[in-house]
Amino acid sequence: MRPDFFRLLRSWRFIACLLAIASMQIWLSPYYLGIANLTLFYLGLAAAWNIVGGIAGQISLGHSLFFAVGALLPAVLLNFGVNPWLGMCAGIVAAALLGMLLTALIHRFKLNYLSYALVTFAFAQMGSLIVLGWDFLGGASGINLPTDKGALLQMQFGGSRGYFWPLAVAALICFIANAAVLNSRLGYGLRAARANPAAAEAVGVPVLRGHLIAMAISAGLSAMVATIYARSATFIDPAFLPSPELTIEIVLLVTIGGRGTLAGPVMAAAVLVPLGEVLRGRLGGALPGLHHFLYGALVIAVMLLSPDGIAPGFARLWRKHSGSRPERGI
Amino acid sequence: MDMLAQGLIQGVLVGSTYGLIALGMGLIYSVSGVVNFAQGDMLIVALYVALSLFAAFRFDPYVSVVVMLPIMAIAGALLYLLLIRRIMTGHAFMAVQMTLALSFVLESSLLMIYGGDLQHVPSAYEASLLILGNGLLVVRTSLVIAFAVSCLLSMLLYWMLNRTDLGREIRAVNQNMKAAVLMGIDVERVRTLTFAAGGALLAIAAVLLSPGLSLSPTAGLQYTMLTIMVLVLGGMTNFFGILLGGVIIGVVEAMGGIYVSGTAGLIVPYAIFAIFLLLRPHGLLSRR
Repeated sequence: MRPDFFRLLRSWRFIACLLAIASMQIWLSPYYLGIANLTLFYLGLAAAWNIVGGIAGQISLGHSLFFAVGALLPAVLLNFGVNPWLGMCAGIVAAALLGMLLTALIHRFKLNYLSYALVTFAFAQMGSLIVLGWDFLGGASGINLPTDKGALLQMQFGGSRGYFWPLAVAALICFIANAAVLNSRLGYGLRAARANPAAAEAVGVPVLRGHLIAMAISAGLSAMVATIYARSATFIDPAFLPSPELTIEIVLLVTIGGRGTLAGPVMAAAVLVPLGEVLRGRLGGALPGLHHFLYGALVIAVMLLSPDGIAPGFARLWRKHSGSRPERGI
Repeated sequence: MDMLAQGLIQGVLVGSTYGLIALGMGLIYSVSGVVNFAQGDMLIVALYVALSLFAAFRFDPYVSVVVMLPIMAIAGALLYLLLIRRIMTGHAFMAVQMTLALSFVLESSLLMIYGGDLQHVPSAYEASLLILGNGLLVVRTSLVIAFAVSCLLSMLLYWMLNRTDLGREIRAVNQNMKAAVLMGIDVERVRTLTFAAGGALLAIAAVLLSPGLSLSPTAGLQYTMLTIMVLVLGGMTNFFGILLGGVIIGVVEAMGGIYVSGTAGLIVPYAIFAIFLLLRPHGLLSRR
């Protein structure tokens, strides 16, 4: 781990951000707190996806599989009397194994970046159809989780004010994992392999091992976030977590922010998810789908103006005006 | 046995149209390296245009193709000129993200304009059936029309690619872009025309698929996936491979619908695709 990583965690800006976010739990009204929770959920998923899609540069459109495992496995195990916390751990492990299996399969057949996106997309579609068609997994009507009575041991936090904490912690874990991967040997190997896999292999970077580890981390984190979100919603909607549409939303968020950067996905999620939600609240009745329109239009605008995302774009602006290099890791 | 033949024929007939859509996508890929993830959404847009034309003027879809063809061709050309051309210099990832974003924009625009309810485009041949061989085979007339038109257009495309100047230019750009530029081929023009042709093919395919189709703004992604599966099975730029891929996906889809109950039947094409892709990553007809 490079010292930059610890410097980031100790920096006053990072700690001030954390305190500011934590204070939201106290002063936000219930409506806006709900939006904050949703934002943390997206933030976590975006940071988790960024490890594979950004740092390793493999456009995975199959992350909905991991969301589905994270949401459904604990719910199904709960029917057999397994504690939801244990269920969450099982979900994380299962998602990580599934991710590694997919990566190994794709690596074995030496698919290029395009086929990678296509194969993961095909698997995601299959997964979504399996969830929809199999009543054991809730089928088209979804799974209702037991009512929240505020029992912490049963992973019940009592209302959105309670769920703020687990979602915030999960998002923080995803963010730190992102920073750790970026500033470690693994991250350097992944970026080398992203730029030129053959050259990376030639200088001794273990490309397959790197991709396996990155996918395992990303899939496990995705499953964790999905478990907590599903519990906070007390209902698993088969058209939300297991559907490929959510993955594409995440991909677009990370693209707007800047793939492979630390700040990009976080910035994009923190700005766009609340904006989209408020717009949906104000105009959703008259104009359904407006927030998706906004995401899509923004991606197109960002790609035309600053093709590597807003975070590197801002960094360039900063450099131009101050004449100094921006902080590392952005 | 009867059902098997029925399914086979239905699959081949529908699959020919899938092949046609994928040919449009493959042409675009061959001259620009772009896989258009908004293809399915553009198809759905064309279908909604047909719906509007019916609502406004009582045009049958088979008539309104005259209006839709230029609209979709211009839309295709604009897609290249306004969006894709600007990111051609960057990594090929960017086109994937750009067109995924476009698919979100199109889908939510349709949702805002038409609402989320299922609709269908009324057509003269909607309920008409062709009965062959003393009732042994019953086929929807619209499917036979779709098959005939798709075959005709494929032949036309093949002739265009092999016998006209534009076709030679397209093949030249596909084989070696730099050499093509040095030979004085206007690559920008070739790409613009190819994107326009892809759009025009979508207009025709939309009309062919419209009878009996229930239409919702969110169906675009499925059609994109279907088209991409056909394209990849065909080996991206192999003309006959793509047509064969279309027929295979059409047949597999029909068989899945007949022999596997419920939603599980919908999984069959995806599963077959994943297996094919892992076994023959360079396409069905590749020699590697």
